[in-house]
Order: sequence, then structure tokens, then C-alpha cells
Amino acid sequence: MTACQDFDVLISLRAAGALDPEESARLEAHLSTCAACRAEAEADAAVLRLAKLPAPTDAERQATSGIVKGALAELHRREGRASSWKRTTAAFAAAAAILVAVLAPAVLGRRPAVPPEDASAVTAAAAWQEPDLDTLWSDAGLLDDDATSSADTAVDAALVAVDL
Amino acid sequence: MTPANRMDDESHRPSLRLVAGGVTPARREEEALVAAFLVGDDDAFGELVRRNEVMVLAIVRRYAQTPEDAKDLAQRVFLRAFEAARRSLRKGPRAAVPFRRWLVRVAVNLAKNHRRDGLRIVRAPLEELDRSGGVSTAPAAPDVLVLRERERRMREAVLLLPRRQREVLTLRIDAELPFAEIASSLAITENAAKVSFHHATRALRAALAGEDRP
Ligand SMILES: [Zn+2]
Repeated sequence: MTACQDFDVLISLRAAGALDPEESARLEAHLSTCAACRAEAEADAAVLRLAKLPAPTDAERQATSGIVKGALAELHRREGRASSWKRTTAAFAAAAAILVAVLAPAVLGRRPAVPPEDASAVTAAAAWQEPDLDTLWSDAGLLDDDATSSADTAVDAALVAVDL
Repeated sequence: MTPANRMDDESHRPSLRLVAGGVTPARREEEALVAAFLVGDDDAFGELVRRNEVMVLAIVRRYAQTPEDAKDLAQRVFLRAFEAARRSLRKGPRAAVPFRRWLVRVAVNLAKNHRRDGLRIVRAPLEELDRSGGVSTAPAAPDVLVLRERERRMREAVLLLPRRQREVLTLRIDAELPFAEIASSLAITENAAKVSFHHATRALRAALAGEDRP
């Protein structure tokens, strides 16, 4: 029942099709000599086959089409009710306007890829910095939904109000 | 782990596996679309939804009772993710999180809460839709029924996994996201995501073994 410990994570990843070539080669070499790990590999693969949902049928695809339309309608409904929805700070509006001016025509037109050499885009990209995700998530009330009520934080309460 | 470590992790990730970490052309397009949407461009909104709807549906359908339920959930995910993106951008461009990362995070949370709030009895979703896509009229063979029952139990067991394991497992087997993207969406390391996946697999095996025992 127990696999060689060095390989047990790789065996699960193999069942998920997530090994890189080097990992795969290393694991396959081991599996060719270790029956216990081969059994583990088969058991992991079997349980993931069971856990995987069936692919959506045509009927399901049909029933879930039109998300863009539905979401837009809902968005407009909310905007109508909460007129402050699009109110933005001056700083943000300026930043957004720059991004739109630089990038939106390329994206919304015939959608050619933004040239990597584009000086403005490169500048914008260079200025970008990874924020502290956990702070942002908890600001948005999305971090501890399992542990707490989804309306626990003030920010999330606001989100819930928007969600009604 | 500190944010600095996380950034370090991402910057050393090989570019082939870089999905959500760095600033790719696709990512710049996404930022431009989000910015355009936030100043009122509906086309940008539509484009962002179209680019991501398959992924969002793949995440929420495990928690939905019907396809219509899944669609409704997916729409709420988009609206809430836009709201979250707007709030984060208000703090300035430096606080901006890639929109797709918001989507993944919101989708797994909202779907799970939907399930928790709306459903006390765990029922297999999409149960009536035949795997082959047609309407099944012939009675299923006994071994097929046994298989379906095992699949149903497995879906229950997935929903009962500890939160992190469930998130990582479903983002992999439902949304088929690379582990690098799963990790960045959940703000954990790629290695932690892989270990969680392994633990989830083991937990499901244990659940299955326990139920098969007479
Ligand atoms: Zn072994």
C-alpha cells in the first residue's frame, strides 16, 4: 500500500498528466523496477478517473451558452440601480485611460498581438508589481469563505449587496 | 511565506510553464480589456467573458445542480470577479491582480458557497445527462450501475475534502489548469499545490476503500 516515499507525489502527478519530461523519465525508470509503486500508480489513476466529471454533453453546452448576454444584462441592471457603480478615483481613471489608449485598439480591433517592443506597454509592464495577494483576497472577502460567513467583512458585505 | 518569496518563485519559473505569473502579451491584452471594461466598454466585458467562460463553467459545474444552475453561477462569478478587479484597481495599478486569477479564486469560492448554502443533501450534479450525450432508454447493465454508484460516491468525497485539497484537485481535474496557475491563483507555491493534490488523491482512495468495505 505504501509507495517509496520519494515517488509518491510524482505518482499522483503522473495520474494527473502533470509530470515534466525529466520527472516522467525518472519515475518511469523506477516503476519498471518497483511493483509496489506500479500498484500505487494504477490506484491513483483509477481514483482520478472516477472523480473526474463526464465531459459536458451537447445538451449541457446548449443550456450553458449565452453567458455573455446574461452577464451583461445583469451588469446593466445593477448599474441602473447603483449609479455609483462606475465612479472611479481620478488616479484610477487616468491609469485606465492610458492603458485603453495604448492597448485597447489592438485588442478590440482585429486583435493583432501587442508587439512586445511596444515602448509604452513595456513601460507599463515594467511598472507592474506583484501585490500581496493574501491582503487583496481578504480585502475582497474571498479568502476565508469556508471558515467564516461570506458576509463577515465590510468589503464582502458590500459585494454581497451588489450580488442581490 | 512572504510575498517576496512568492515573487521570487514566479520569476524563476521556466517560461514554458509560465501561465499566470509574468507579463505576457495575452496578459497585457487582458489588462487592457479589464481597463476598457472599467471605463464602460461592454465589448471588452464580452471579450473577457468569452475568453474565460469555458474555464469558469468547468470549475462551477461540479457544484451546480443543473446546467442552468451552472450558467447562473458562472455569470455571478464574472460579475463578482469584475467587482473584485475594480476594487483592487482602485488602489492603483500596482494593486492590480491578473483578472484570470480573480476569476479562478472567485469561482472556486462562490461555487462552494453556493453548494453549501443551497444544498444540505449531497446529490450528484448533472446525473441525468447521459455520458454518451443521448437520452438513455435501455436499462443499464449491472456493472454500469455499480460504476455510476462509485462515481457518485467519489463526487461526494471530493466535496468533503479539506478546502485546499478540494481546490487544487478540482482546478486540476475539472479546469485542467497547470499547477503553476493553480498555485498562483491560490497564492501558494507550486510545490504546495502538488503535495495537496497528492493528499487529495490519497484521501479519495481512502474514501473509496472505506465505502467498498462490506
Ligand atoms: Zn517504488
